[in-house]
Amino acid sequence: MDWNADHASFVAAAYALSLAFIAGLIIYVFSRDARARKRLAQFQETKK
Amino acid sequence: MQQFANPTRFLSLANRALPTIWVVTIILFAIGLYGALVSAPPDYQQGETVRIMFVHVPAAWLAMLVYTVMALASAVAIIFRHPLADVAAKTAAPIGAVFCFLALATGSLWGKPMWGAWWVWDARLTSMFVLFLLYVGYIAIWQAIEEPTRAAMIARIVALVGFVNIPIIKFSVDWWNTLHQPASVLRMDGSTIDWSIRWPLLVLGLAYSFLFLALHLMSMRSEIATRKLRNLQIARSGEA
Repeated sequence: MDWNADHASFVAAAYALSLAFIAGLIIYVFSRDARARKRLAQFQETKK
Repeated sequence: MQQFANPTRFLSLANRALPTIWVVTIILFAIGLYGALVSAPPDYQQGETVRIMFVHVPAAWLAMLVYTVMALASAVAIIFRHPLADVAAKTAAPIGAVFCFLALATGSLWGKPMWGAWWVWDARLTSMFVLFLLYVGYIAIWQAIEEPTRAAMIARIVALVGFVNIPIIKFSVDWWNTLHQPASVLRMDGSTIDWSIRWPLLVLGLAYSFLFLALHLMSMRSEIATRKLRNLQIARSGEA
């Protein structure tokens, strides 16, 4: 990849955008999973 | 297949499979990105801009694949009433929406230097935009309707009716005269792309697929936990 080539900034923007949205999606899914399982565990704990 | 419809068995399988799926995903992304940014040569006409294709095309493939998964799961929910089918369809939607948005946005970033326009209302772009609206509408149904059984029924219908758009997206470049290029990878008479550019594309397509699998299994796991918690809360309020 020649970063000095014509339109290289468009390539960089496409990869940066993909990285940002995929990273955001991964963080969202992980945090939702952790929160849901924690709440369920807490509820089952208080039930005992 | 029937045995995995049991949420407990499904969770056990998912928990065992997820670490391996994540490792495979990371390896595929590493190989694919090396191929896309280092190994693949610039195109003789597009120059370095061709590298946008390595993130644009897999995102577009997955946007269509995820919607197909949603439609299949919705059909299974209607026909067989599998307890996990609605969970599978509901949790796939936000992931598919992100892939669809990325396909539109990276396509726009390719279109400006190549076509001289960020956006044109040609058949492929418009049908892809309709797919994005279908994702947003599907997610909105689950958010807006409080009663889960009613939300599930309406969501199933939207997923199945919206599936009509998938073959329209695929064949739009054949049926209409579009600015978007015709199919060049998945063709009956073989790919028209040179292997040096095709292999990173295929590896990244596989990487995006494994990423979807990992995120989908995790989303299904959290949705099952949320539903279980809601049922326990209802049962407790009934006891009180």
